Amino acid sequence: MPNDVKTNGVEPRNESVMNLAGQLVRLMILVMVLLTALLVVSMLFDAPLGAKANPGHPINPAKAPWYFLGLQELVSYSAFIGGIVVPTLIVIVLLLIPYIDRKPVGIGVWFAKGRWIQNIFFGLCVLAMIVLIIIGMYFRGEYWNFILPWAN
Amino acid sequence: MGTTDKKSKNAAPKNGGHVIMDLPKNIYRSVIREKTTLRDQSESEPVSDNFFVHVLPVSPLEHPRFGYTLGLGVISMSLFLIVAATGMLMLFYYVPSTEQAYERIVDLNATVSFGRIVRNIHRWGAHGMVAAVFLHMCRVFFTGAYKPPREFSWVIGVFLFLVTLVFSYTGYLLTWDQLAYWGTTVGTSIAGYTPILGDTIQFLMLGGTTVGQETLLRFYVLHVFVLPLLMVTLLGLHFWRIRKDGGLAYQNGNERD
Ligand code: HEM
Repeated sequence: MPNDVKTNGVEPRNESVMNLAGQLVRLMILVMVLLTALLVVSMLFDAPLGAKANPGHPINPAKAPWYFLGLQELVSYSAFIGGIVVPTLIVIVLLLIPYIDRKPVGIGVWFAKGRWIQNIFFGLCVLAMIVLIIIGMYFRGEYWNFILPWAN
Repeated sequence: MGTTDKKSKNAAPKNGGHVIMDLPKNIYRSVIREKTTLRDQSESEPVSDNFFVHVLPVSPLEHPRFGYTLGLGVISMSLFLIVAATGMLMLFYYVPSTEQAYERIVDLNATVSFGRIVRNIHRWGAHGMVAAVFLHMCRVFFTGAYKPPREFSWVIGVFLFLVTLVFSYTGYLLTWDQLAYWGTTVGTSIAGYTPILGDTIQFLMLGGTTVGQETLLRFYVLHVFVLPLLMVTLLGLHFWRIRKDGGLAYQNGNERD
């Protein structure tokens, strides 16, 4: 079996199969399912469009799109910490991750046992962000006051 | 396949062939780069010779496993292409002026053929892309795929994630409705809390002291020109590095445990 893949000094397992057509077909199926789903969603739901911008009439609360609501929730505690410090730290830590955690353990394996500390750390960060987003989405009303979504 | 029969079947005739009769074939070949060499090469030719399927490994050590990637990188890429295509269509209609932007979108929704669906696809596709890119990043983390030699793929990825977010941040203002206006007002005011440079950064973002015409124009230029350019460049780097680093991590990384 010819083996011209650059393997970075690692003996590859020899399960090499050339199956371009198969790969392409699988890609195409994935993309078509995705397109169909997006089309259906776009036929059923309209993108939001409010009244025309009016600098004289603030809306209350002015909520960001869902993916920024975690940060907006943090900003409501402190604009400096939530809006500047935390985002900057997140980006710096993200950029440094591969240079800090270099031990060749569990590469290419889902939830490898040897990496449980890293996985729990990252998982908790993701969970925290999701919880903040949910709070921002459903539990915040006028003046960013706490509300219960079901008590209307 | 021997060299001789390749030559006889695929080599261009000495006189260059018939201009009109061979036109479809010649166009096809110029795109696909089919059989332009007479050398005998490995089976990798279909991939290495063709830019359009270059994302696929030349000779995968295994079939790409859906259970490993969950298809999230490919989904991110597809959504980006869909959003770019629908965005391009809306470019023909949109005007980045505080007088016209909102009315143009109302018009797009109400009177332009397929305007509403194009806008909906653009919006929901963008939301989907943010989610897909984030989940892709999580996938890469939980599979430990950022470890050497793939550190830089991860770093490029972090920038891709940031570009995706700035994309949606700038796009949000373009509808020039109440939500856009006040969301951006809140968002840009946060930048003002940056130590020392806060006011300068905020002024640079707004092109003034409040959200207005200059802000709309700035966000527009970022959204339709600067960010697409950045995104495409980073994506090119991302895919190239993945290939150069020896394909996906599970395909050769396990042995290093
Ligand atoms: C626009 C955004 C992005 C696109 C379109 C994209 C696309 C892709 C694709 C198609 C792959 C091949 C495997 C797969 O499908 O999962 C991949 C792999 C990879 N991506 Fe991304 N990506 C993006 C953002 C990111 C981000 C945010 C990160 C991390 C911070 C990242 C890090 C990586 C790494 C390290 C690999 C190699 C994974 C492995 O070997 O298992 N990418 N990317």
